[in-house]
Amino acid sequence: MNKYVVARGIKKGAQYFIAALLAAVTFFPLIVTFISSLKTNDEILLGMFSMPKVWNFSNYPDAVRIANALKSIANSLFVAIATLVVTVIIAMPAAYTIARKSYGYLKAVYILFMAGVMVPVHCTLVSVTKISSSLGTKNSFAFLILIYTAFNLSQAIFLFTGYIASLDRGLDEAAKIDGCGDLHLLVRILMPICKPIIATEAILVFIYGYSELIFSLILITDSSKYTISRAMLNFTANYTTDYGPQFAFVIMSMIPMLIIYLVLHEKVEAGILAGAVKG
Amino acid sequence: MFFKSRRYRKSFLKSLLFVLPGVAITVAFVIYPVINTFWLSLHNWKGVGGAPVIWVGIENYVKTLTSPKFWNSMLNAFYFMVGGFVILMPLAFGMALLVTSKIRGTKFFKASYLMPVMLGTTAVGLMWSFMLNANFGVFAQFLNAIGKPEWIMNWLATPTVNIWCVVLVNEWMYAGYNMLIFAAGIVAIPDEVHDAALLDGCTGLRKIIHITVPLCKNMFMVFSVLCITGCLKAFDIVWSMTGGGPMDTSATPAVLLYTQGFQFKLMGRSGAISMILLILGLVLSILLNNVIFKQDDM
Repeated sequence: MNKYVVARGIKKGAQYFIAALLAAVTFFPLIVTFISSLKTNDEILLGMFSMPKVWNFSNYPDAVRIANALKSIANSLFVAIATLVVTVIIAMPAAYTIARKSYGYLKAVYILFMAGVMVPVHCTLVSVTKISSSLGTKNSFAFLILIYTAFNLSQAIFLFTGYIASLDRGLDEAAKIDGCGDLHLLVRILMPICKPIIATEAILVFIYGYSELIFSLILITDSSKYTISRAMLNFTANYTTDYGPQFAFVIMSMIPMLIIYLVLHEKVEAGILAGAVKG
Repeated sequence: MFFKSRRYRKSFLKSLLFVLPGVAITVAFVIYPVINTFWLSLHNWKGVGGAPVIWVGIENYVKTLTSPKFWNSMLNAFYFMVGGFVILMPLAFGMALLVTSKIRGTKFFKASYLMPVMLGTTAVGLMWSFMLNANFGVFAQFLNAIGKPEWIMNWLATPTVNIWCVVLVNEWMYAGYNMLIFAAGIVAIPDEVHDAALLDGCTGLRKIIHITVPLCKNMFMVFSVLCITGCLKAFDIVWSMTGGGPMDTSATPAVLLYTQGFQFKLMGRSGAISMILLILGLVLSILLNNVIFKQDDM
């Protein structure tokens, strides 16, 4: 018996040790980068892994001034939020129609969206640039948002259709008997019920939109319109004399996402899981 | 009768109106570009509006498939896959075992492990390239401290070493993400199975090997599909850490098609790589899905 207790104790201890070690490995680079962002350039060049002599916050205003950090964070937040709103507004009626109506052409529409899930973003780069230069929409946020929407739409419709199909049709019938049209039914009755899946999709689209890189590389050339990923890469490539502001910029870019994660981490976990298992 | 058919037509038109915006956007920005890319891959084009578009047939494909750069990028994608199965899978599964075990603070650990996914790939890539800096990075400093300065090198500029650095950072970022998948599988195992195992004296490592792993088979399948199709698409993390360089040694196929198209202005070549990637991705996922389907039948 005693031996059993000791063995269990050792097992528990080992579990805690490994769990804590993994957490430490996860946080380590963040902490080192944060501490380095409070150092002067000379201190950084001596090595990242040391405490600053004086806690020096001037790298942050420098990053804002030189790299226009706040502007690019605002750009990314705007693009991400606009993308998620547009995606939900377009995907919801389509998902409702696919789940509830039985016209023959809807099968083809569904297959089209499934094909959309399979296409890797990179296979469209050349053509999307071509379209954007012939439409004269380089540097246009509206076009960027449309592209982001296009690549999130299929997944959104897939998730929404599955969710609506699982709801009881009796609800629709009751609403229809009360004289409720399709639009009314969708907005007033189904949307509130679908809140959990909308939240899931919104989180996925937001994470994508905030940190998206490749389309902003090819579609945005005006530095005042850089999204955060683009602005950071540009800054670290061109401003190599002083490392402090670079560290500060990287930390600043993470802050909005970390705040969202702190507040909503359980929703985020559920959302990421739903997005992954859908495959 | 007339009334009914008018109503039918009205609701038919309304349904069209509901799906039309989504269909239009998908066709215009996803389906059409793929077809257009295929068309371009059979031509040479400099990527500027006025430049001539010249028909070259399958020359771009031949040149791509015979270029060492392309095969090097495929090798790098293969490293991503090897890293995925050898490092990421055990790591994520171990994390999943921990966060579903009976220790305290599993919520905290789960949230911590998932956190890197939220940070944004570019930020993660830059953060780690600071850490790997040969002058002031943490690893260089550590090697200096233990008296092995001769081991310090410019990791991100040394071929093969650089792609493995990127792969490891990728595992750091996505371990928590895959942990969620495995944890969902472990939680779904019914309690009776655990009780039965306990009665039969099956505990610890033996229980994990003989009970947990086989019952999570589906989750390993999901992981395999995501890992194999994902390794062809890796772009952001490579681009932010090395830019594919030096000399495309750390480029994955996605990075290579970007540099060919947008730096060297070889749009046709880039289109050919795109098409090869698309077809390879489709074939692999159909193959994998069939394997899974067949095994489920058994």
